[in-house]
Amino acid sequence: MTALLELHQVSLDQRLQSTSLTIRADERVVLLGASGAGKTTLIQLCNGSLKPSKGSIQWRGQPFASLTRHQRRSIGTLWQDLRLVEELSVVQNINSGALGRHGLLWALRNLLGVLDKDACLTVMDQVHLEPSLLNRAVTQLSGGQRQRVALARLLRQRPELGLADEPLSALDPVIARDVLDTLLSFPGCLISLHRPDLIHRFERVLGLRNGALVLDAAPETISNSQLEWLYRRS
Amino acid sequence: MAVQTFLKPALPLLTLLPGLCLIPVVAILVRDGHGGGLPLLIQFAQGALQPSFDPNLLKNLWQGLQITLVIAILSWGISSGLGVILGFLGSRTLWRTVLGSAWPALLFRRLLSPFRAIHELIWGLLLLQIYGLNGWVAIAAIVIPYSALMARVIADQIDCHESPALPVLQATGGPAIAVLMTAVIPAVSSAIKNHIGHRLDCALRSALILGVFGLGGLGTDLMLSLQSLQFHDMWSGLWLLAIAMVVLDQILGSLQRKQRIGVVISVVLMLALVGSATLNLDLSWPSGTLGSVLDVLGDDHNAAAALFELNWVAVIGSTLLITLMASCIATAVPPLLLLLWPSPGSLRLQSLIWGALRLLPTPLSALLLLVMAKPSLPLAALALGLHHSGVMGRVLIKDIRETGFGSAQTLERGGATVRMSWLYGPLAEVSRSYLAYASYRCDVILRDTVVVGIVGSAGLGWQLIDALSSFHWWLVAWLVVAFIGLTLLGETITERWQQRLNCKAVVL
Repeated sequence: MTALLELHQVSLDQRLQSTSLTIRADERVVLLGASGAGKTTLIQLCNGSLKPSKGSIQWRGQPFASLTRHQRRSIGTLWQDLRLVEELSVVQNINSGALGRHGLLWALRNLLGVLDKDACLTVMDQVHLEPSLLNRAVTQLSGGQRQRVALARLLRQRPELGLADEPLSALDPVIARDVLDTLLSFPGCLISLHRPDLIHRFERVLGLRNGALVLDAAPETISNSQLEWLYRRS
Repeated sequence: MAVQTFLKPALPLLTLLPGLCLIPVVAILVRDGHGGGLPLLIQFAQGALQPSFDPNLLKNLWQGLQITLVIAILSWGISSGLGVILGFLGSRTLWRTVLGSAWPALLFRRLLSPFRAIHELIWGLLLLQIYGLNGWVAIAAIVIPYSALMARVIADQIDCHESPALPVLQATGGPAIAVLMTAVIPAVSSAIKNHIGHRLDCALRSALILGVFGLGGLGTDLMLSLQSLQFHDMWSGLWLLAIAMVVLDQILGSLQRKQRIGVVISVVLMLALVGSATLNLDLSWPSGTLGSVLDVLGDDHNAAAALFELNWVAVIGSTLLITLMASCIATAVPPLLLLLWPSPGSLRLQSLIWGALRLLPTPLSALLLLVMAKPSLPLAALALGLHHSGVMGRVLIKDIRETGFGSAQTLERGGATVRMSWLYGPLAEVSRSYLAYASYRCDVILRDTVVVGIVGSAGLGWQLIDALSSFHWWLVAWLVVAFIGLTLLGETITERWQQRLNCKAVVL
């Protein structure tokens, strides 16, 4: 399998100890660990929001810093705080996922009204969002609907690698299942979760403890005691 | 499945769309422009780098600056005190807590509205005609509208910040005043302090404009230098003014941060300034001739004749046109520059540009533009719009700095270009509050048309100055009434717009 993302002895201050990691195409990876273990830091290093103090990160064999904007859009993130543009409507927010494929004129036209409606309705259907919400301001949506708008935006981006930072927190079981199904449909994904009961849905489990990568195994080989240890306070 | 497909510009786009107004404005200016003034503009620009250091000139300018500063500081101090008192009296929250009904607040607001609707320049020219040249005339000209304006803003702030603890404290049965002091004042004190601080900057600019129109101080010196094309002398005054503005800004900052040394130095500096300037400023009590004006106003024949003297549709139409064009320019130019040059590092340089545009008083920038083109409404609008874009730019950059650049970085990481990232990120995030402030600024621009009317040779301002010069009091009265009506209408429209935006303009 092709290596998508490679971390070589990456560390960041006190937050993450030297970590090496490769995520391949068609690989679905879950990231577990107690609060403060370094999950968000690792996700942010993977999408380039944070720069490592040591080590290097490569995307398809190319250093992160040298990626073009078209290459950067291959990595998409579902942020824990969603990061929707609060002043825009649902359709405008969803279309903002496609900014990487278009020019400034398209971006301006998107702010003028409904653009690429069919493409938006398709991704809305994928995340079970009512089409009638297309023109609604995102500030008028419920928490679950907002989560699905963020997910639809990620689908519009069409990334090769989907990253998600605790995407299921505060969601009811039905929406949580839908969100997870959608994230697992990406060619590759790395998702941080507080749900050890869901690891069987992934092909690989990473465990972080106190900023160190202490577990990297297939889910069927992991014991309950290992999972408990990950979440035990030192 | 019914999906609406109408055009509905999103808020970030609404900050840019008024920029379309620049197309006809620039086209008309190109048509009316002439190259003859270019050498003068180059001389003006050179003057910025080579200001005059003639000791006599610097002494004169320093005395002028002292007068301007004293007028600004005294009028700011008095209007702040009055504004706070009147603001509380105009607060619905206060009257509901004390009396159980808000009608006295509405009464106070209505009573104060004509005072704030009249521009300080009109007050200045009216009082100058009645009482003659006197320091108190300039101070009163600023105090009257500023007190009423601050009262409105402060009353709005009190009503906006109504504390959820208010009904809880009321239920304790405590005296109404004690309840208000506990629940309301701490919640609004920061907003009120910020607004009062901002008004000092405004008072300084008002004092300058009064000077430009002959009420003394640095404004008069700048106007005389410009009229005699002594740009090096003019720039000496402008640099002095810039230094004074920076020092005042620092003083205000230290006062707001409550730094003890800063407060002591500020008070000593202000007292020294006021003390020394009184030597150059006539602060004796003015003796007026208001009776003679009232005698003239008593003649009914003159009243009717004056009313039909003007083509009111044309005069009001041109005033509204200047307001509309200037508001569009002031609103669109800062976001356009931001998108032209989108980076955190460029914000500092953009701040300097906005500071420079605020520095030059509007009548002077209008006169400078006149050397390049024939007088016209677009020229007047451009002068007014560029000056106010200095204020809007300052607000935009302050908001963006407070919001941060995280959203732009996130979008860039998703493959968007830098411009797209700033359009969908920081600009989108601040667009609601920016547009709310722009609507408030439209009110100010409408009042300020009086200052540039002379350039367009049109509008109520031009007619008013003309009527004042010829002591045509009934026409003055009708023009003032028209101005009050327009300003109040404008305020009603912008308040509706702010309600639609679901955002009250935070008037610094």
